Amino acid sequence: MSAPTLAATVQLPPAASSPKLPRKRGSHPGEGRAAWILAIPFTLLFLAFTVWPVIQSLFMSFTDTKQKDLRTPFAVNFTGLQNYGRALSDPVFVKAAANTAYFVVVGVPLTLGVALLAAVALDKGITRFRAVYRLGFYTPVITSIVAVAVVWRFLLQPDSGLVNTVLSWVGIAGPNWLGDVQWSMPSLILMATWRNFGTGMIIFLAGLQAVPASLHEAAAIDGASGWQRFWHITFPLLRPTLLFVSVTTAIGYLQFFEEPFVMTQGGPLNSTISLSMYTYNQFGYGNYGLAAAMSYLIFIVIAVVTALQFRLLRENT
Amino acid sequence: MRTPAIAALTMAAALVVTGCGRPADNPSAAPQSASTVASGPATGDLTVWAMGAEGEKLPDLVKDFEAANPGVKVTVTAIPWSAAHDKFTTAITAQKTPDIAMIGTTWMGEFAGLGALDPTPAAIDKSAFFPGAWGTTEVGGTSYGIPWYVETRLVYYRTDLAEKAGITTPPTDWDGLKAMAKAMQEKAGSKWGINLQPGGTGSWQSVMPFAWSNGAQLNNGDQWTFDSPQMSEALKYYQSYFTDGLANKSPAPGATVEPTFVDGSEPMFISGPWEMSAVEKVGGKGFADKYSVMPMPVKEKSASFVGGSNLGVFKTTKNRDAAWKLVQWLGQPDVQAKWYGMSTDLPSVTSAWQDPALASDKKLATFGKQLETAVAPPSFATWEQVAAKFDAEIEKVTKTGSDVDTSLKTVQSQATSIGTGS
Amino acid sequence: MLRPRSRYGRWWIYLVLTIALVLVIAPFAWMVLGSFKGQGELLRNPPTWWPEAPSLDNYTQLFARLDFGTYFTNSVVVAVAVTAGNLLFCSMLGYALAMLEFPGKRVLLTIVLGTLMIPGVVTFVPLFVIVANAGLIDTLPGLILPFLVTPFGVFLMRQFISGLPPDLLDAGRVDGASELGIFGRIILPLCGPALATLGILTFLGSWNNFLWPLVVAQTEKTYTLPVALALYSTGQNNTQYGLLMAGACVVVLPLLIVFLVFQRHFIEGIATTGIK
Repeated sequence: MSAPTLAATVQLPPAASSPKLPRKRGSHPGEGRAAWILAIPFTLLFLAFTVWPVIQSLFMSFTDTKQKDLRTPFAVNFTGLQNYGRALSDPVFVKAAANTAYFVVVGVPLTLGVALLAAVALDKGITRFRAVYRLGFYTPVITSIVAVAVVWRFLLQPDSGLVNTVLSWVGIAGPNWLGDVQWSMPSLILMATWRNFGTGMIIFLAGLQAVPASLHEAAAIDGASGWQRFWHITFPLLRPTLLFVSVTTAIGYLQFFEEPFVMTQGGPLNSTISLSMYTYNQFGYGNYGLAAAMSYLIFIVIAVVTALQFRLLRENT
Repeated sequence: MRTPAIAALTMAAALVVTGCGRPADNPSAAPQSASTVASGPATGDLTVWAMGAEGEKLPDLVKDFEAANPGVKVTVTAIPWSAAHDKFTTAITAQKTPDIAMIGTTWMGEFAGLGALDPTPAAIDKSAFFPGAWGTTEVGGTSYGIPWYVETRLVYYRTDLAEKAGITTPPTDWDGLKAMAKAMQEKAGSKWGINLQPGGTGSWQSVMPFAWSNGAQLNNGDQWTFDSPQMSEALKYYQSYFTDGLANKSPAPGATVEPTFVDGSEPMFISGPWEMSAVEKVGGKGFADKYSVMPMPVKEKSASFVGGSNLGVFKTTKNRDAAWKLVQWLGQPDVQAKWYGMSTDLPSVTSAWQDPALASDKKLATFGKQLETAVAPPSFATWEQVAAKFDAEIEKVTKTGSDVDTSLKTVQSQATSIGTGS
Repeated sequence: MLRPRSRYGRWWIYLVLTIALVLVIAPFAWMVLGSFKGQGELLRNPPTWWPEAPSLDNYTQLFARLDFGTYFTNSVVVAVAVTAGNLLFCSMLGYALAMLEFPGKRVLLTIVLGTLMIPGVVTFVPLFVIVANAGLIDTLPGLILPFLVTPFGVFLMRQFISGLPPDLLDAGRVDGASELGIFGRIILPLCGPALATLGILTFLGSWNNFLWPLVVAQTEKTYTLPVALALYSTGQNNTQYGLLMAGACVVVLPLLIVFLVFQRHFIEGIATTGIK
C-alpha cells in the first residue's frame, strides 16, 4: 500500500507473543527517569506525526467533513455514527468486505504454507546454494508492484499469456484469469502469495535454524521418522514464529490495496475491490468523513482478527 | 487515578462536538467575477506544474515567453500522471499550490469547487477556442482558465480489412457502423467487429458520444438526467455490440488496443489522437497506410467527447498579473502551433489548426473537424464519483446483458443522492 | 543436523527447488529483459521473451532525461536518515518498554500497538497539513521526519531485547553504570542482528515509498527516484513500458545489494527477535 506508514509498506511488524518480562525487582533509582529520556525522542515524533493525525481523522469520521472543509476542520456538522452506518449499508462496501475476507482466509494460509514449505526445503532439504535460492525467492518482495503488474498482466492474458500457454501443453484451456469474475480473485491471491512468501520464508528459516540440532539427533536415534520429528519437535518450537508471520501477513492482507488497484481496478464487476481500495476512492472523491469512518471500521476488523490469532496460535508456556 | 482523566477527555470531546457546525450561508455558491489584469510585460517569478511529457517539454517553450518578458522567471515542475490528482488535492488543502498548473478537464469542477482557482479575466477571448473545450473550463457559470490542448475520440478502422469486407466508404450513422463491424467479422476474418470498452474506469467516454449524438444530456441545470429515453436508446445500441457478439465483453484487464488492431482481430476501436503513433509503433513500417479514422457516427447530430488539459491560475498566487499573461500567451495561435510541433498536443485554439503541419495531415484534419462538435460532461465537483457509478452500470449491461432501463434508473438515483455538489 | 541421507535423496529436492526458483523469478526476469525492448515489442501479442533487437535505449533515455544524480542522492539520503533514526530511537524505546519500569508504560505500549493497525490512508492528509504548517514542504526533512520512528521498529526491538537476560541490567548496575550507560554500552552492542533486520526492512520501505515524496515535493530537486521514474513512464493515456521496466530495474538494484550485504545478519537477526 503506498501510504506513508512504513508498517503498511513493509510486510512485517507488530506484536508477536508477549515475551517473558524480567521479574520486577522493585524500581531502581533513576530507572523511571532514564526510561523517559529514552522514550522522549520517539514519543515526541510519534505524537506530532502519528497520534495527532489519528485523532484528527477519528474526529472527522464522526462528522460530514468533505474535501473543502479540511481547511476549516470545525466548520462541519457532527453526525455521530451516521458515516459508519452509511458505510455498512453500502452494497459496494459490503462486497469489498467479502472480497477482503476471501482474500485473507485463502491468502494467509496459502502464503504461510508456501513460505514454510520453502523454508523447510531450504533448511533441511539442501546444503548448497542456499543463498541463491534465498535471494531468488525474496526477489518478488523488493520489486516495484507497478513494473511487476505489467508482467503479471501479460502472463495472465487469456490467449497468449505464458500461464495459459503452459496449461495448453497439458491440455487445459486456461480461463480469462483477470477478466473472469470467478478467477479474478484467485489470480490476485496467487500474485500476492508470490509477492509476499519470501518474507515469511526468511523468518521461518531463522526460526528453523534456532531449533537445536541435538533435539533432532536424539529423536533420530530413538527411531523417529522425518515427519514425526517435524511434527513433534520442529513445529511446536516454530509456533511463536508462526504467530509472528501469521499476524504480520494477516494485517497486511486485510489492508490489501496495491494488487487490485494496479491489476484490475477492482473489477470485473467489483469482484476484486478491497476495503482499502474502496476507502481510498472515497478519499479521492473528497468524502473525508465517510472515508475516515471506513478506515476505522477496517481498523476494528484488524484488531479483532489479530486478537483471534493470538488466541489460536498462542504458545503453550 | 483513572476517572479524572476520563472525565477530562469526555469534557474535551463534548466541547469539540458542540463547537462544530457549518455556517448558515454558502458563500462559494454565487458565480464569481474576474478581476482585470494589469498591462505591460510580465515580471517576477512564476511556478508552473505540468504533468508527464508536457512537464518535460514546457520549459523549452516558455523560454520564448521569458525572452519577450525580461524580468520574469518561469519555473516548471514536471509531475508524474500517476497520483497527480492526489498531489493537487493535498496541495490545495495545505495551500501549497503553484501559480499556474495544467489541470485535467475532469478535475476543473472539483478544484473550482474547493475555491482554489482564479476566474478567467475578461481580456481572454473565449471565441478563439473550440466551444466544447471552453465548456470544460466553466464551473457554475464562471470560467476558470483556458483550454491548453485538446483531444477527441474518433473511430479508428483498418482500411485494408474494410475493403476486404466490401466497405468502400466509411459509414456515417449508427446502423452503418454496426453493419461495418458485422461485415468485418464475417468477411474479413476478424474475431471481433470492433473494440469497445465494456464498463470499467472511463468507459463513459465511449458511451457518451453515442448518447450526445442522440440528443441526450447528462444534466439539466443542477439535476442529473441519466434516465432519459435518448440515453436509454444510446446505451441499448452500445450494449447490442456485446450481446450480438461483435465486441469482446471479457477483455483481459490492462490490455491495450494496439496489438489486436494490428493483428486484425479487433479491426476498429474508438480512441484519441495519441493512438496514431501508438498503433504505428506496434504495426511497424507501412502500417500508417493500413488504417484511417472516421468521425463518430451520427444519430441526431455529430458529437464526441472532448478531453485534454486546461491551464488554470490558483487563487493563492502572489504574481497574478504575470500568471495570466503567461496563460494568455500560451493560448495564442502561433504559440499553440509551435507547441503542437514540440509535443503533438492538439491546439485548443481553432485558428491554430490552419498551420500547415496540422492542415496537411488528413487524419488530423478529421480530429479537427470532430472537435467542432465535441462536448464534455458538466464540471460538477461530484462528476468523478457519479461517473464511477455510471461505469459500474455500463459494466453490468455490457458484461451480463442486464436491462438497460433498470441500470439507468439505478444510476439516476445514485447520482441524485450524490448530488451535483453545488 | 539430520542423519546423513543418501545422495539420491537430495537431488530431487534440488530439482523441485530449481523449478520453483525459475517460476518465482520468471516475472522478475521478464521485467529485466523487457527493459531492453522497445515499446512496440513490449505491446506485442503474443509477448516475446528474449528481446528481438536488444538495446540500451530505455536506459540511455532515462539517464539522459533524468537528473539521475539528484534523485538518487535524495533517495539515499532519505532512506539512510530514516533507517538511522529508526535504529536509534526505536531501540531506545524498545529497551525501555522491554526492561524498565516507568509510569505510563502500559499506556504507551497500547497506543503504539494500536496505531500499527490503523490503515495509513486515513492519516495521510492530516499528516500533510501538519508537515505543511511546519514549513517542511519541499524539503528533505519533510520526507524524513514523519518516518523517523515507527511503531513497528519499537516492537521489533522490544521483542529482541526482551529475549536478552535481565541479569545484564543488574550486573551493569552493580558495576556502577548509569541507566543510560547500561543501554548504550551493554544492551545496544548485543542488538546487532535485530538492528540489521530493522535496518533492511526500514530501508526497503523508505526506498520504495512513492506517494509521500510525490506529494511533499514542490520542485523536482526534492524528488526521489521512484517519483522521477514515474514521471517518464506513466502518461495520461499510455504507459511507456520500456522506460517503466528500465526504471524498475534501476530502483531495485540498490535494494538487492543492501539485501545481499546484510543477508547474514538478517537471518541471524530474525532468529533472535524474541520469536522463541
